[in-house]
Amino acid sequence: MPGNSLPAAVELVRFLPETILVLLGTLIMVLEAVTGDRPKTFLGHLAAAGLGLAACAAVYAHSSPGEAFSGMLVVDGFTTFFRLLVYAVGILTVLSSCQFLTRERANTGEFYALVVFSVAGQSVMVASHELIMIFIGLEISSIATYVLAGFLRDDPRATESAVKYFLLGSFATAFVLYGIAWIYGATGSTELTAIRAAVDTQAGREGAMLAAVAAALMFVGLGFKVSGAPFQMWAPDVYQGAPSPVSAFLSAGPKAAAFAVFLRVFETAFGSIGPLWEPLFWISALLSMTIGNFAALVQGNVKRMLAYSSIAHAGYILVALTARSEVGTAAVMFYLAAYALMNVGAFALLGHLTRKGERFQKVEDLAGLGSAQPLAAALFSIFLLSLIGVPLTAGFFGKFYIFKAALDSGLVWLTVLGLLNSAVGAYYYLRVLVVMYMREASEEVPPVEALSGGLRAALLACSAGTLALGIFPGPVLDFVNRSATLIR
Amino acid sequence: MRIALNAMLPLIVLSPFFLLPLVVRLGKQRAQWAALLALWPAVLAVYFGALMRQVGQAGPVQASLGWAASLGLELSFYADGLSLLFALLISGVGSLIVLFSSRYFDQDPRAGRFQAILFAFMGSMLGLVLADNLLALVAFWELTGFTSYLLIGFEHERAEARSAALQALIVTGAGGMALLAAGVLIGQAAGSFNLSALLARGVRLEDAASYPFVAVLVLLAAFTKSAQTPFHFWLPNAMTAPTPVSAYLHSATMVKAGLYLVARMTPLVGETPLWNGLVTAVGAITMAIGAWRSVAETDLKRVLAYSTVSALGLIMMLLGVGTEAAVAGALVYLSAHAGYKGGLFLVAGTLEHEVGTRNVTELSGLRRSMPVLAVAGLLAACSMAGIPLFLGFTGKELLYDSLLGAGGGWGPLLLLAAVGASALMGAAAFIAGWSPFAGSGGPAPEHKVPAALAAPPLIMAAAGLAAGIWPGAIDGVIGLAVSGVLGDAPPVRLSLWHGLTPVLGLSLLTLALVAVLFRWRIGVRRRIEPLRMDFERGYTLALRGLDALSAWSLRALQGGSLRAYVLVLIMIVGGLVLTVLISQGLPGFPDVMDVQPQEAAAALLIVGGAISAARSKSIITAVLSLGLTGYGVGLTFLLFGAPDLAMTQFSVETLTAVIFVLVFYHHRSVGPMSTWPIRLRDSLMAVLFGGSIAAVLLFVGAADTPLRLSGYFAENALPLAHGRNIVNVILVDFRALDTMGEITVLSTAALGVFAVLRLGRDMKS
Repeated sequence: MPGNSLPAAVELVRFLPETILVLLGTLIMVLEAVTGDRPKTFLGHLAAAGLGLAACAAVYAHSSPGEAFSGMLVVDGFTTFFRLLVYAVGILTVLSSCQFLTRERANTGEFYALVVFSVAGQSVMVASHELIMIFIGLEISSIATYVLAGFLRDDPRATESAVKYFLLGSFATAFVLYGIAWIYGATGSTELTAIRAAVDTQAGREGAMLAAVAAALMFVGLGFKVSGAPFQMWAPDVYQGAPSPVSAFLSAGPKAAAFAVFLRVFETAFGSIGPLWEPLFWISALLSMTIGNFAALVQGNVKRMLAYSSIAHAGYILVALTARSEVGTAAVMFYLAAYALMNVGAFALLGHLTRKGERFQKVEDLAGLGSAQPLAAALFSIFLLSLIGVPLTAGFFGKFYIFKAALDSGLVWLTVLGLLNSAVGAYYYLRVLVVMYMREASEEVPPVEALSGGLRAALLACSAGTLALGIFPGPVLDFVNRSATLIR
Repeated sequence: MRIALNAMLPLIVLSPFFLLPLVVRLGKQRAQWAALLALWPAVLAVYFGALMRQVGQAGPVQASLGWAASLGLELSFYADGLSLLFALLISGVGSLIVLFSSRYFDQDPRAGRFQAILFAFMGSMLGLVLADNLLALVAFWELTGFTSYLLIGFEHERAEARSAALQALIVTGAGGMALLAAGVLIGQAAGSFNLSALLARGVRLEDAASYPFVAVLVLLAAFTKSAQTPFHFWLPNAMTAPTPVSAYLHSATMVKAGLYLVARMTPLVGETPLWNGLVTAVGAITMAIGAWRSVAETDLKRVLAYSTVSALGLIMMLLGVGTEAAVAGALVYLSAHAGYKGGLFLVAGTLEHEVGTRNVTELSGLRRSMPVLAVAGLLAACSMAGIPLFLGFTGKELLYDSLLGAGGGWGPLLLLAAVGASALMGAAAFIAGWSPFAGSGGPAPEHKVPAALAAPPLIMAAAGLAAGIWPGAIDGVIGLAVSGVLGDAPPVRLSLWHGLTPVLGLSLLTLALVAVLFRWRIGVRRRIEPLRMDFERGYTLALRGLDALSAWSLRALQGGSLRAYVLVLIMIVGGLVLTVLISQGLPGFPDVMDVQPQEAAAALLIVGGAISAARSKSIITAVLSLGLTGYGVGLTFLLFGAPDLAMTQFSVETLTAVIFVLVFYHHRSVGPMSTWPIRLRDSLMAVLFGGSIAAVLLFVGAADTPLRLSGYFAENALPLAHGRNIVNVILVDFRALDTMGEITVLSTAALGVFAVLRLGRDMKS
């Protein structure tokens, strides 16, 4: 037990971004209550600005790296990268939902507050170096997202998806917590480096076994959160049922944070029993890619197709995790950034087109969009091409980096199977492109309202980011390479 | 000049892509403007010719564009004789096809799109044959497949066009994936993905552990792309594409990508019994089947398609034989084929364009109204049939010559097949190239054939004659290409007259057979027509099976039932925990005999509550039973010295039960929710899951855990917190934050109860 000293000022600086976010969420809740019944777009803008402020705070905190609160939090390049990533996802989500929410008559402050709280939870997750903090962050993030998934209360699909997400998600977090309990029982600590030291010196077989059981339980829980197979079942139902901006958020923010935790916990705490859990990652990566891609191949509904494809993308990232190297870690980081940009863009744009799912649902419905809605079609094409992994887009470097890491670690067959999978994946994305540009609409394409300022800004930011990472990946690549130094 | 040519290579290869915006604009204009597009491929052909001269003097060139330095990624291209021969064909034939298409699609609103896809294809094809990196080669390979898909399905309103396009995409795409896997395996085994490095170092993979996989995967890619049996069925179906596409992709260039691949990979993975045997056998069978079917068809394009299949098989067989003469023969045959077959396709397309049909039984006597086209058709047919003075003859001489000298015990059989196939193909040549113009009667065209339609086939056909008369013009090129396959080969000398050799005798025999077959072609067709083998059946069955499999697995894995999802989750956790237990070896079974009676009571309470909750038919009872389980857990906390936890547990259980009862007040009973087999399955799962967790718990009890928190509290309660009652100190001092959290939870829960009560009262009033 540590002594009862008050935290130093620098520790508070290291915790500043999370503090800002929690205050911001509370402020939005209060403002919601006192500003009456009008649409709360201005609260959305406030949320975006506050997330931006938190990002500045994260950059500021990065200037004084180190531990905070007896090693429960740590600020390093890894933390800063993921903090900025989840804040960016939050900003993009908020900006792209104002118009959607107004149209669905659900533009209230709670939505923005929930997004901010969820981001705060993810921020805690990625900055923690201690299991209880990780769990608290996970719960803060998850509970907010359960509510977000069912935010359109009158939509039965959304409600069903929220209930499913809540129940299964509770199971998953319970497994994480159970794993934490095991590891505490086995090693007497919840701090990752201490756990590592204890696991390293575990003389008896029982200790190693306990650590293995804990690793298995946490693998299940975190695997659920990243929608890796065989824990992917919830993802298609939830992504399809939830409002599109929320699906975008779910597929990028919580996933990125959960992957960050995956890396920290498994590389740092369980690094020395790697041979025990590596096969799990191998199998899960392969299953995720295969199930995701082959299921997406037969989907007629575009949103559900994107949902399945997000499972496949989790599989690619799991390939990089399986590589267990600094290159692999850097590849995970780069891919998550690329994926956040392209997937948030794709879901947000689809949400704008489909509304609550009354039009442009099927792939065929997109026929003629290329000439009817040139801007929307062009943006959608950029996102789809990047999801395929076409050169000059972010997705290309992401995939390239992942498979390079896997090859460097000698995972030849996983690389081969992964590449085959991404080739399969190309077909269903291309099908959408072909329908948009090569087919004439069979009937009149329903008019789509103009993109509002916020949505337009979010979409342009996503597409510009996707292209920038695809053409000039240098700065980001260098940063992730420098920051991929987990304690091993 | 030399440096400039080298450095320009990447930009030149990618130039068709850069030009796409311009192509779309210009392609839409009237034919005389759109025809200008043909200039660029012509410029490319001149460039590749110049580069070929340079390669002949100074050896292969490599040029790259740097990109992402920190990943070591660059886009590099490699040009030697072999790739430049292909590049010359692609750009040269491409120029004529673009010219032809400008007129073929005149006044068509889709012309711009068509020309753009054609240019994209051209760029992909150039990238394929000039790529240095194996993975880039695969990417371009797939791009040619994709552009081919767009071109076959260009008339997408027709269902057959769509299904043929998809079929070609699936068959060649599957091959592309095999190539991707092969590429990674080669790169891993050889230590580099760059062809230039691998070829320069003379790497051979024969002894690598993965060699059989690599060889079979590479050949699978080559066989699907080059329409070898049993994958050849997609090519005749692809004839639903507009004719310029058939001429360009499906005869002159794309289908030869498989041949390029086999030739390119020969130094790396070839020259083994497995490789040569497979290539030779598959090529020979394809040659025979294609030739056989080519005389049975009546649709001009299908006649040509099957004869293309046959020619591809013949070239593949020669590459399999693998001697210098055979490889030279393969490359000469390939060049001749690009000229005459492209020309014949364009003739067929022009006939359809002007007369409205491509059925050979309806076409005759057109030589009077279309003299130029008739000359083109006749010249192309002569080259294809191997009449002396034409390049086709030179190719056939080399074919017979190499088979006479090699092939081991199978030599005579291969020779026999080659003579038979050549005779059938010769007959097919005149059926397609001459019979529409011969005789009398038949339909008449409405107007003169425009020059832009007649010139390209005439140029292609005439090129075959020119190269045949003056073989010295191409033997340098062919020689360079051969050395790209076999290393430093002695220079190839092509000549028109070899003297009175057995080969000449075979050629004359073949021509006699051609004459007989063509004279009695109607009878032959009637005999052969009913004899067909359905190679497409396997494809259809495989697709149907895949559909059924994915539908079934989606239903099973993703039915939307929450219960099934939870079941899977629990099964996996139970299975994982058991696996860990078993793989780690079970430690000695712990001593569980010293159980105190009160502990047993708590355990009974927990188990009894759980069983009762699962069995009860009333929701209220179930909730209360669950409460019992919770109380049992609380009791355990109490017994093992955690009174604070026990207190929290009791209050939370009570509150939860109260809230549940209030919420479910109106839904008191539930019917049976599942049948007994499902209940049995669920209870088995429950036992597995509970059992595995319980087993681990037992072993934990046996393990010596380093945790002794209670001592710390006992020692420090007084000095740090100034309190003697340890439990109090823990609650309000050491765990003050926990306590605050618990209080918050309780108040929130109480608020919830209050809200539910209020709601009930409001609803009543």
